[in-house]
Amino acid sequence: MKLHKKAYLLVELSKTDNIWDYELINKALKEYSRSGSQWVNMFRVTLDELSAAGLINSTDKKLDDGTHFQTDKVLFKYQLTEFGRTRMRETGLL
Amino acid sequence: MTQTSLDQALKKHYARNQRWGFTWAIWVAVLWGAWYVPGTALWFEKPFADIAADDQAMMLGATAVMTWVHAIAVLFFLLLWNTVLGKVKDYGRTLFRFRKISKWYALASLFGGPMAIFGSYMAMGFIGPVFAAITSLFYPVVGAVIARLWYKEKISSRAAIGMVIIIMGGSVIYAPGLFGEVEGGNPNMWLGYLGGLMSAIGWGAEGAVAARAMDVSDPDTGIQCRFTFEVLFWGVIILPLIALFTDLPIADFIVATVTESSAMLWIVLASACHAYSYTAFYKSFSLIGVGRGQAIGNLYAIFALIFIAAFTLQLPEWYFIVGLVFVVAGTFVMFSEPAESVIQLRDQESCA
Repeated sequence: MKLHKKAYLLVELSKTDNIWDYELINKALKEYSRSGSQWVNMFRVTLDELSAAGLINSTDKKLDDGTHFQTDKVLFKYQLTEFGRTRMRETGLL
Repeated sequence: MTQTSLDQALKKHYARNQRWGFTWAIWVAVLWGAWYVPGTALWFEKPFADIAADDQAMMLGATAVMTWVHAIAVLFFLLLWNTVLGKVKDYGRTLFRFRKISKWYALASLFGGPMAIFGSYMAMGFIGPVFAAITSLFYPVVGAVIARLWYKEKISSRAAIGMVIIIMGGSVIYAPGLFGEVEGGNPNMWLGYLGGLMSAIGWGAEGAVAARAMDVSDPDTGIQCRFTFEVLFWGVIILPLIALFTDLPIADFIVATVTESSAMLWIVLASACHAYSYTAFYKSFSLIGVGRGQAIGNLYAIFALIFIAAFTLQLPEWYFIVGLVFVVAGTFVMFSEPAESVIQLRDQESCA
């Protein structure tokens, strides 16, 4: 059985030092065979939730030139925090 | 691209998250307030209207049946919501991970259902509805304290002040009615106080526990997991135990409820309000935190009176305006926090 989407994002983050949100979201869209702006926005909100809860944090930011989501939207590079790693262990995701 | 334009875009990004968090929390209040209309009307329909007011055992048994049927209808509306959002599969995936993840939703449902709702009905039955409403207003304090102690949720001084002002406003609305209720020598009054305490602790703890589960799961699917467990707790454990160990006609009462179209109409309306109020409740936690989400949700005190006044055409008393001023002021104090205060909801060095 596939992981639920929030867990999938965390697992993918745990496999890398850091990753841009558009790269991560593209992976997730492929994994769940989804497309369209509704799903892109849902994944972006999920990343915002993970960041607010302290499980991930952003290591870099840049403005979208229209290549990824929308012109002038902020693109974030994320990494899993130590707290995120602990929470993943506690919840059987790591 | 300059650093200034990036800073401006960032500010806009965080402000949008903050606005969404508060918008969800205000929807909690509107729908929770609206819930009181069908929730109260239900007691005037058969089979509930036929129960004698002093038959406390039957009242509590009926409440348990009502809560169970209501929870099943809520689950249906949540299924509809997640179907539209395309999240039904994610619901199954989350529920399946019981030992590590969805057990927290099971615990949240125990706090929110049998403890808080039942406690609130005890407070209503043994003291009065005004007392029950006031004690419920204190649940954000419990939620914020648990969230602070358990996983170090940050509560800024402005958020704390806003929370206090909103609770004061809610108390002003209901307090004058309280004097008539707590007089008299009812020997079972302590059960009412116990119920009030159960509702404040139950709803506060539910928020904190659910937010813990939402660290690694989605709020939309999380709320559906929470109601799945509530349906199971009432239907598989509590109601069968009541039927087994008391003389209450639980099975007959369930049949009488679901075959009574007027009662079911109110239950369906109440459930629609409750389902989407709870969805908004959980969604606000992950964007602005448990303390802020619950405090803004407390505006239900205002909306409940507005909806009841609209349907009964009875205008609220003058002190309603005073309370209204307080809660609106409290909301503005909380919303006036800089958007950056909700970027990171927890003290990261110490959270666990």
